Amino acid sequence: MGADLVIVHLYPDLLRTYGDRGNVLALQRRAEWRGFRVDVVAVSRGERVPRGAGVVLLGGGTDRVQEALGPDLRDRGPELAEAVGEGTVVLGVCGGYQFLGNLYVSADGVSTEGLGLIEAETRAGKGRLVGRVGATAELWGNRFDLVGFENHGGRTTLGPGARPLARVRMGGGNNGLDGSEGAVRGSVVGTYLHGPVFPLNPQFADGILKRALSPVTGGDDLQSLDDGPEERAHEHARTLHR
Amino acid sequence: MIDAALAAVGGAAGAFSRFAHLGSGTSLPGRLVNRIDPGFLARRAASLDQGAVIVSGTNGKTTTASMLRSILQAQGLAVAANTSGANLPGGVVSAFLGARQGADVGVLEVDEGVLPSVVAEVLPRLLVLTNVFRDQLDRFPEPEGVAARLRIAAERLPADSILVANADDPLLWASLEDLGPVGFSVLAPPDGGATPRGRGGAGAPAIAADAEPESCLRCGTGLVFTRRTMAGLGSAHCEGCGWTSTIGRYVARLVSRAGLEASVLELCEELLTLPLGGIHNAYNAVAAVAVAAELGIAPHRATSALEMFHPRFGRAEELLFDDRQLWLALIKNPAGAGTVIRDVCTDRRVGAVVVAISDNDADGRDVSWIWDADFERLVQLEAPIVAGGTRAAETAVRLKYAGRIPDVVETDPLAAVRAAIISCPPDGVIAILATYTAMLDVREALVGDRSTRVEDDIA
Ligand SMILES: [Zn+2]
Repeated sequence: MGADLVIVHLYPDLLRTYGDRGNVLALQRRAEWRGFRVDVVAVSRGERVPRGAGVVLLGGGTDRVQEALGPDLRDRGPELAEAVGEGTVVLGVCGGYQFLGNLYVSADGVSTEGLGLIEAETRAGKGRLVGRVGATAELWGNRFDLVGFENHGGRTTLGPGARPLARVRMGGGNNGLDGSEGAVRGSVVGTYLHGPVFPLNPQFADGILKRALSPVTGGDDLQSLDDGPEERAHEHARTLHR
Repeated sequence: MIDAALAAVGGAAGAFSRFAHLGSGTSLPGRLVNRIDPGFLARRAASLDQGAVIVSGTNGKTTTASMLRSILQAQGLAVAANTSGANLPGGVVSAFLGARQGADVGVLEVDEGVLPSVVAEVLPRLLVLTNVFRDQLDRFPEPEGVAARLRIAAERLPADSILVANADDPLLWASLEDLGPVGFSVLAPPDGGATPRGRGGAGAPAIAADAEPESCLRCGTGLVFTRRTMAGLGSAHCEGCGWTSTIGRYVARLVSRAGLEASVLELCEELLTLPLGGIHNAYNAVAAVAVAAELGIAPHRATSALEMFHPRFGRAEELLFDDRQLWLALIKNPAGAGTVIRDVCTDRRVGAVVVAISDNDADGRDVSWIWDADFERLVQLEAPIVAGGTRAAETAVRLKYAGRIPDVVETDPLAAVRAAIISCPPDGVIAILATYTAMLDVREALVGDRSTRVEDDIA
């Protein structure tokens, strides 16, 4: 009686500043509404990510918490790399996205190694990029509109091995300069958008779910849901200004 | 003479501000006076015989200050206070513009962001800090940063001033315990509403809905709670460095609760029937009594004043509209929303609910916090729910994922309330849970009055 989908919320006690729980909830419910059995597993410091997880989610935290997580994250690199090798989707939001990269350089010049799952570097910038974001995303061959809210001091630059998740039409995105937002490399996805991002962008959520459920579905399309409330909220968010 | 002239300028500006619907009409005059005479605040504060008390922190400022004012007035003292929750420097100055020259004591509610500079000007006799919750993320991205600001303010207190703080708030207490604060705590029965923190399994969210990320301020290790009264508050210790929280010198024990209306507390060995529900109000009450006691007012005198307390400006307000009873409560962060939701769900009179979430500057433009608020509990209430506010559509999505699609989604405040009234049984109360500007919009639609009757004027 195993679950069809195991969703791992990594460090839910510490990385959850911007409604990250809403992302877990959206994936969980959208799978359950289609009849899949879902387990949500909280994994904190010193605990292992279970084998066969469909999705691993890393949220955002305060700078202090993120620093304190450094040692545990270093130990977690190989484990997550192995999971990604087996097809697990890893999603990082805001601070969690920064962790997925190779390097984070703080305002006082201290470098912290990231998980190295995405070829990206983040440096603390002057001032924070705060406000609503509108973007066009492309993920694993699907194009869709993306809305959310960003609030980050770090500026992220992608290397040639990573592709942006989206192009912003409003908002700062990765660095406020090149119009890119988020990153994708294989089954690893990062974004600065919270809000949280999945409930307001059901196409994004379903893209993640379709891939995470593919061991069960053989990669078939997911049954469509009645997304009236989500679509109205998405459309309304599109009308808002920065 | 000069101060009287300034008061006249301020009064005229206030009338204009109210007329123009700019806000509560209490901040603008103060801002003007501040510009004309930057020394006004320090001078008027220094003229108070019994000095000034400053109240700050994330939640509960307005109610705590208001309770304290009631206690002081019951002792026959004339109080200068910014009673409308206008808590930026302009509003604080306005407290003195509105007060008679002969005020004995000041009770000033001050926004966390400007607290250090206001403390340096006012040089209060006592500073009381309520708590530090996540709030207005686009303004204060890190709760630790707010705690640090509060500490800076506490360090600027004159040597003989008293610091009172919430000993149940590990983040706040750890950040200033070396300054020797006087603590207060609340003890509640185990079923007193603490949200369980499960490990999560199939079908259950992995973590408590409305708790903050909780880690030791010293070493970053996750805190272990042995007692929890509400989100983020209780007794905790750190298994990393051994830090342990403490029980405050002043303790309120929750004896029983009665939904939205009242709770019975044992406070400094006095039994107090507080005409306000909710564990957050137990914190506000014990804070006010602790401050009064430190000012030399016996606890039994303070508690008997609180029995009569009427929240003119608080988190909750009762209104009559079309002969229907409405209960209006401010929600602005997961912790506060959690306690309000708990109160609504335990009050059997509630017959319909409006959840109105707006995202104007004064609300915080980032509404992601609603996903950490315990709407899972609210949707279990067998009452119709209306989603409202400028972000009604997003609120509807939140409620859907909590387990129930709302019956009506309506951005217009009057239409939202009317929809709730239509669906409510005739003798039921309509509970309206609203963010700051959503609440102002509802008040304006119902009673034509946009006056601030809730916490936090973020003009
Ligand atoms: Zn510690």
